[in-house]
Order: sequence, then C-alpha cells, then structure tokens
Amino acid sequence: MMASKLTRGFIYLAAAITFGSLFYVVGFILIKGIPYLNLDMFAWKYTTDNVSLMPSLITTLIVVGMTLVIATPIGVFTGFYLVEYAKKGNKVVGIVRIATDTLAAVPSIVYGLFGMLFFVTFLNFQYSVLAGVLTSVIMVLPLIIRSTEEALLAVNDSLREASFALGAGKLRTIFRVILPVSMPGILSGVILASGRVVGETAALLYTLGSSTNLPDSLFSSGRTLALHMYVLSSEGMHVNESYATGVILIVVVLMINGLSTFLSNRLTKGTK
Amino acid sequence: MTITKLSKLTLTMGVGLTLAACGADSGSTDSSKDAGGFDASQTINVISREDGSGTRGAFTEITGVLVKDGDNETDNTYSAATIQNSTSGVMTTVAGDPTSIGYISLGSLDDSVKAVNIEGIEATAETVQDNSYAIARPFNLAHNGELSEVAQDFWSYIMSAEGQEIVVGEGYVEAVTDAPAYEATDGMSGKISVVGSTSVTPVMEVLVEGYTALNPDVTIDVTSNGSSAGMTAAMDGSADIGMASRELKDEELEVLTAEPIAIDGIAVIVNTENSIEDLTMEQVKQIFTGEVTTWDEIAK
Amino acid sequence: MKTKKLDGFMKGVFFVSALTSVLAIILICIFIFAGGVPFILDYGLSEFLFGQKWSPSNTPASFGILPMIMGSLAVTFGAIIVGVPIGILTSIFMAEFCPVWLHKILKPAVNLMAAIPSIVYGFFALQAIVPIMRQFVGGTGMNMLTAIILLGIMILPTIIGLSESSIRAVPRSYYTGSMALGATHERSVMRVVVPAAKSGIVSSVILGIGRAIGETMAVVLIAGNQPIMPESLTLGVRTLTTNIVLEMAYASGEHREALIATAVVLFVFILIINGTFLIIKKKGAK
Repeated sequence: MMASKLTRGFIYLAAAITFGSLFYVVGFILIKGIPYLNLDMFAWKYTTDNVSLMPSLITTLIVVGMTLVIATPIGVFTGFYLVEYAKKGNKVVGIVRIATDTLAAVPSIVYGLFGMLFFVTFLNFQYSVLAGVLTSVIMVLPLIIRSTEEALLAVNDSLREASFALGAGKLRTIFRVILPVSMPGILSGVILASGRVVGETAALLYTLGSSTNLPDSLFSSGRTLALHMYVLSSEGMHVNESYATGVILIVVVLMINGLSTFLSNRLTKGTK
Repeated sequence: MTITKLSKLTLTMGVGLTLAACGADSGSTDSSKDAGGFDASQTINVISREDGSGTRGAFTEITGVLVKDGDNETDNTYSAATIQNSTSGVMTTVAGDPTSIGYISLGSLDDSVKAVNIEGIEATAETVQDNSYAIARPFNLAHNGELSEVAQDFWSYIMSAEGQEIVVGEGYVEAVTDAPAYEATDGMSGKISVVGSTSVTPVMEVLVEGYTALNPDVTIDVTSNGSSAGMTAAMDGSADIGMASRELKDEELEVLTAEPIAIDGIAVIVNTENSIEDLTMEQVKQIFTGEVTTWDEIAK
Repeated sequence: MKTKKLDGFMKGVFFVSALTSVLAIILICIFIFAGGVPFILDYGLSEFLFGQKWSPSNTPASFGILPMIMGSLAVTFGAIIVGVPIGILTSIFMAEFCPVWLHKILKPAVNLMAAIPSIVYGFFALQAIVPIMRQFVGGTGMNMLTAIILLGIMILPTIIGLSESSIRAVPRSYYTGSMALGATHERSVMRVVVPAAKSGIVSSVILGIGRAIGETMAVVLIAGNQPIMPESLTLGVRTLTTNIVLEMAYASGEHREALIATAVVLFVFILIINGTFLIIKKKGAK
C-alpha cells in the first residue's frame, strides 16, 4: 500500500512540476511584458522611437500565409499518395517516410544555414520573403504530411468501399468522401505548422533577413515577430519592448492553438 | 475548484519547485557580501564578445589582448570568459552580476552599468574626439563603386552636416568635421538596401528616418546581420551599402570604397555596485587575459 | 474516359508532391555537406573533431570543436536526466491518473508548451533562472546547470505527447487483467501498462534528445558560451548549435566554412539519432 502511495505521489509531483513550469514561463513573460504594451507599438511604421511591432506582425502573417499556401497542397497530396495510392510495401513509400521523419528532426539552425546557402546565395534570392517562405515550407512539410496521413488512416475503409460501390472514381472518392471526413485532423496539422513558423527564429534569421520595413515584394527582406524579439534584444536598447513582443507572441501562439483545438472539436462533431 | 484557484496553486508550486531545484545544487560560493558593500575578494567574471565580432576585434587589438608576433596573431582572451554575441547580452550580464566586467560600444552605454575610466580618462564623446580616450574604432560604410543615384544621395546625406549631427546625437563622434550642408534633390525615389554590422544598425536606422523624412519616396531596407556579411553583400552587389564596425580587410578594400561615418569608443563596463573607478590599459589586459582573477588584486 | 485521364494526371501530381520532401532532404544534405566537408578535409578531420582549441581570430587559426561536441553531449545528457523522469511520469498522470475534465485543460496546456517559441523560453531563463543561479551557484549564473534545467523543461512536451499516446494505445485488457488479479491501480499501471508501451516511450525520449541537441536560440542566451571543455555544472558551456549562431554573423572566409562544418557534425548527430529512432519504431511495429 505504501509503495502505491509513493508511486502516486511521484506521478502527481511530476505533473505539478511540468504544469508549474509552464505557468511560470507564461506568467513571468505576461507579468513582465504587459505593462510595456502601449499603442505606440502598434503604429504602422517602425521608427526607433516607437519600436512598433506592427510591420513584423504583418510580415509574420504574410510569411505564415504564403508558407501554408505552398506547403498545404504539397503536404496533403503527399498524404493522399502515401495512404490512398501507394501499394503496401511500396519502396517509394518507405523512402518518403524516412525523408519525412528526417526532415522533422533537422534542427532549425541547419534549416537556416541550408536556406542561406541554397535560396539566398545559390539561387540568388537575397535575404527575402521568398527565401524565408521556401525554407519554412520545407520545415513544416513533415508536420502536414504526418497529420494528413494519420487523418486519412483513421477514415473507416467501409466509407471508401461504399463510395466505390456507388460508382464513384478514386479521385471523386478522395475529394468528396474522404477529405471532408479527415478535414479536422488535416486542419489541426496545418494550424500547428503555422505555429511552428510563428515561433521560428534561427531558420529565418539567415533567410528572411531583419529589415524593419514592411516587405513590398517577394524579394524584399522583412522580420517576423520572433525575429523582431531577437533583434530588439541584440541591439540592447529595447529590452522592455522585447518582453512586450514576447507577450504578443504568446498570445498569437495561444490563439493558434485554441483555434486548432476548437476547429478539430467542432468538425469532429459535425461529421458524426 | 475553479481554474484560477488551480492555476494559482500551480504557479506557487512552480516557483517553489524552481527555487528548491536550484537551492539543492547550491552550496559552492555563497558570497559573504554585506548589504550595499562590494566584496573585492570575489572572482572577476569576464564577459567578452564572440570571435569575429568587430567590437572584440578592435578591443583585443587596442588593449593588447591580441598578441602579434610576426605573421602570427593570438587572441589571448581568458578561456573562462562568458561569451555574449550582442551588446545587450554583455550589458544585461554585467548589470545583473556585481563581479563582472565587459566592454560595449560607447553609443549603447546607459545607466544600468558603469563605465570605468581608462588611464584616468573618462569615456565620453569628447575624449574619443580628441583621441585622449584610447579604445576607439571607426564605423565604416562601403560600396562597390557602382552607387545608384539615390544611394549616392543617401550617402552624401550621411556625410553632410545634417547626417553627422544625427551621429553625434546618438552618442557617437562624427567622422567628418565641417561637413557641408545637405541639399535635397527634388524627386528622389527608389530603393536602397543597407546590410551589415549590428553595432552600426541603431545609428543607421536613425539616419534612414532623417533621410526619408526629407525624401519620402525613397525606401531603405536595413538588414542587421554582421560586418562581414555586410561587406560580402556590398562586394557582390546584393546590397547597395554595407556597414562594418571594424576596419576593412585588404581583400575587401580591393573591391570596395569605404568611408568612416562615425568614431565609436569602446567602454569598459562594470556593475554599478563595483567600487572600481579607474583601470590602466595594463590592468584591462590582465583582466581580459585571465592573469588577474579577483578584484582586490586590482584595488590593492 | 475523361475522368480516367484526370485520375491518372492527379495520381502523377500526388506522386510528385510525395517526392518533394525526398528532394528537400537530398538538397539539404548536398548543400550542407558541400559547404562544410571541403573545409573538414582541408583542415584535417581528426584535428577538427578532436581539437580542443577554438580560436578563429588567431593567425594561424585553430578550429577544434571537441569542446562544443562535449558541450552538446553534456547538456543533452543533463536535460535527459532532468526531463525524462518528469516527462514520463507526467504522461502516466495524463493517461491514467487524470480526471477527464482536467485532461481537457492539460492536453492543450502541453500543446501550448510545445508551441511556445524558443526565443521566449530563452528570455524567460535569462531573466528568471539566471539570477537565481547567480545567487546560489555564484558566477554569472550562466552555466551548464542553467542550460540543463531549461532544456529539461523544453523537451517535456515532446516526451509527454508521444509517451501519453503510446500508453493510451496499450490494449485495455492488460489493465483490467492485472486489476482482476488483485493488483492496485498504481501497480497495474506501472508494472503492466507502462512496460507494454515501452517502445513508444523510448521513441519519445529519442525525439527529446533530438530536440535538446538541436536547440539554439534559447541556449545561446544562457549557457555562457565559453569554448572550453565542460568540466563542471557551474561553469559555462558552448554547444554545436550555439557555436554556429554566435559567430555566423561576423564570420568570413575560413571561419565561416568552419561554422558550416560545425553544422555538418550537428547534422550527422541528428541523422544518427533519427536512425536509431526509426529502427526502434520499426521494431516496435513488428
């Protein structure tokens, strides 16, 4: 009986440490940062006076949006191929899986260096939105592929059979029957991917650059919120503002996660 | 049981646990510091910049931490020195640690830390100007000889009386005295990209604001990624203007035309609690090479 | 007829999409290796890997990254010691001890923990853990222990997420069977259910190792970054990742190549870790 109590005690303690640290991190940043939030930081144009984070907020949205527009079809189509088309034991499937798993494990600093060597220098894109977006696309692909695969595998085979029996073709079955059912899983993967881009620093530092202007073309440089926070802290004159940027980052991440949970809950209910 | 109650509980526990976790590993140097006083027997914590930084290059060369012997150069920075890769990293560390010492760009100096006098000379814009403060280096701009019309105009703005006034206003020393006044040309428009040193970026941003106020149709992108990256970008033409917080290397000068825009002193900084006011160059060198490791060896 | 053509066409599109990630990983390998390997060959593999002196500004410069390799290993090992027990126990809590209503709050909390940007973790540690360390351990407070605690926290969500789902995937009959034999809830969980989820838990730990060894932005702020061999928990340490991000900005020429070569070493580490992960996963699937 004693051993049981001890076990239970350790388990509770571990959980308390985990969630205690989470609350501590979030609470600390919020408490330190909220007092420094002010309207000036949301001015349209960055100056050294207002240290506005608006341009970086908008750049973040642009980079996230473009990344998802490119990465989502590629990722979802890969999922289609792996689950719906490839035959069991297909060599290609094995190779794609290994590639995806490896991509998922590559540290962001390596993505950053690769982006710099390939997109920025070799393809001569310079520090630009394009280089940043393409690097992010590769980075989030495994997330989207994996969640699509899982969502498709979870679809009951009887649905596929029923659709074929009614005379629908493969493509029609995928887009009309399977995709709607697996939508929540795919969507939550896509949303998590956007979270990854929002929080990324190392990979974008060497590809997107760190201009404070709003990018006006694919080939101009910009900075996302996380980069903004990093650069502010490096310059050494705006520590309070970087706290405030931290608050906004946490809020954005919270919204993204909330949206992901909400959407998948709601859509699951809708299909049932 | 509400969520707020729960979160409060967990928050308190979290704080407690963190403290406990750290406390358990303590027990080494529990300082004998009495309130307000400065305990000079403590070990000096040396804070340096990373290898390749313009500030570190200039600092080690001037103070003699970098030893030149024929073709060989050895940077003797104390191997136990904490390395920070930004001005703010150095300042935050020194501001929070009573026993540490570091060096930063004079333009970034603020009240959170204390600059020591070198050989009895206070680090100010004036002493850098008249060369009596020994640790100073230029901020350089460079281009590959093919400046566009608008970039040329921006360049002459920086070198004009107006531009140099901004430089002085930001706490640096002007590189051009008696600069001519800037004459705005009507209808300037276009795009300029400026890439380079993180130390030059803050003053460059202010210069950009000043210039775009006069020439609203010009957009200037400032990318802050380091002196060498800036020189590379200027050489291959991917940036119009490169910024460096160091002297240009010979191979860079083969391609680039460079001009200093400001002189920046390097301040040696200590914690505000530290009672040290003066250091000689020799002492600075001894501290940064690890020959001297406690404050009382300096204070005597 | 028309639909059949479209079918074939779309199948091609799907296939090409699937090859994108293969192409991406090949490109990454080519460019990282091409950037770093020539330098390693030029400088000498063993001098590079086992050299203890990193002083790129000297003439002649030395580029020995053994201190950084050992730094990465030491910090990762420490993070595992801190993070793994807490992470696994928490996942057991989430899967077996947690009321449903609480799980609805805690699950998103773990996801949030995974999504907090590393720069935010780094700032938190710099402002919250470093001063405490300074008080108790002395020095600047930026030392290996600080990095270990932070990384220990940062790998928690990785471990918890995967471990929890593998514990939940254990057939319920294992648990009910054990209970029917008169074992307590705790004993059934710890002795029957958790061992059955072993391969999933081990995979989660390996992923955690990958995350710890690859973390950059958080560690650079708090580790002290001295390029010296790690000797004590209370001294500073520099890892492979921080070596790159610290000096990349100002590096040129040979120094820059040496940093890319550092990334090659890091990448090889990741490939090894990931290979181990794949093998264990495959074994678990059998």
